[in-house]
Amino acid sequence: MMHCTMDDLLALRAGEGSAWARQHAAGCAACRAELEALYQRVAQLKALPARRPARDRWPAVRDGVLAERRRRRGRWGVSGLAAAAALAGLLVFRPFWTKPVDAAELARVKQQSATLEQQLQRYDPDGRVTSGRSAALAAALEDRIAVIDGELAQLGPSRAQARPADLVTLWQQRVELMEQLMTVHVTRAAYVGL
Amino acid sequence: MTISLAVPDILVARAKSGDLEALEALYRAFETPVYNLALRVLRRPEDAEDVLQETFLEVVRSIKQYRGEGHLWGWIRQIATSKALMRIRHDRVRETEQLHEESVVGAGGGAGAGDMAGVGVIGASAGMSPGSVPAQIDLERAFERLSETSRAVVWLHDVEGYTHEEIAEQMGKTVSFSKSQLARAHVRLRRMLDEGVSQ
Repeated sequence: MMHCTMDDLLALRAGEGSAWARQHAAGCAACRAELEALYQRVAQLKALPARRPARDRWPAVRDGVLAERRRRRGRWGVSGLAAAAALAGLLVFRPFWTKPVDAAELARVKQQSATLEQQLQRYDPDGRVTSGRSAALAAALEDRIAVIDGELAQLGPSRAQARPADLVTLWQQRVELMEQLMTVHVTRAAYVGL
Repeated sequence: MTISLAVPDILVARAKSGDLEALEALYRAFETPVYNLALRVLRRPEDAEDVLQETFLEVVRSIKQYRGEGHLWGWIRQIATSKALMRIRHDRVRETEQLHEESVVGAGGGAGAGDMAGVGVIGASAGMSPGSVPAQIDLERAFERLSETSRAVVWLHDVEGYTHEEIAEQMGKTVSFSKSQLARAHVRLRRMLDEGVSQ
């Protein structure tokens, strides 16, 4: 007598059995028992006890995350310097492209930004222990600074010449974010308006 | 294994903003199910721990891309499954393990026509209740003796509820491969249980 194969039984369990398998299982006690055994095996697999890892891997995950953030920050620093250098070049070689008030304001906010960068570097946030919340806030601020650096780089000398006010606004925003970043790192304030 | 996997939306939002405390809370919430999935598939605790770590590094990197469509566990499980299967593909000892499995269950473990799962010798396994501890231990041992691929298919399909189509896609195989692996694995499980897995 031909019985159901395991393929047939699995198909029956999934409600996809062939007409022959359904008819056979209905009249064959052995195949019905085999199908029941299959159900029980699966139920037992689902009921296996949960195991817990012997070691806590969160510290390794956290360290990996913080290391990635440091690497990212390093890359942003380079791109920020590149943007600053490009804009400095623009000022040196094209000093008369804009109204004096824009040029003065631009020079002021750029100097402010450079000062904040130096202060942050001296503070060495990477070498200090910080809380998870502070680290998250700092990462969010760095994200926003990176976006501005990207916009500054995209603006480029030719467009900056045409839109000097945009350039000043971007540098002002960068200074504001740098100040907030300093606040997070130095005073570790819990709230910086994010 | 019943674990609550509900996570408040505010926690997910904080994790998306990069908040390390929220990310740790997510890790604590899903540590056990991720580890269990990896352990059942890979068997070795150290491999399962590595997959746990790799999974959460990926979760942290990609959580901003999680759009809240479907349960968060489904999203994390997809990453964990991918990491575990990747480890199988890169595991150099899998062929050795396959030989080990064949030596345990004997040759001819196919599930083709006429290879009915031994009608008449099913008494021991058919009589087990799902909550029976000795039966669970036997099944756990038998399950561990399957090949990594078979364990992955059985666990993903029968326990995690993946479809054959989803398994085939994750493994880079065909649907019929997934179906035949499942059938062969169940034939082997039944044989091992009937013959006494501890022998």
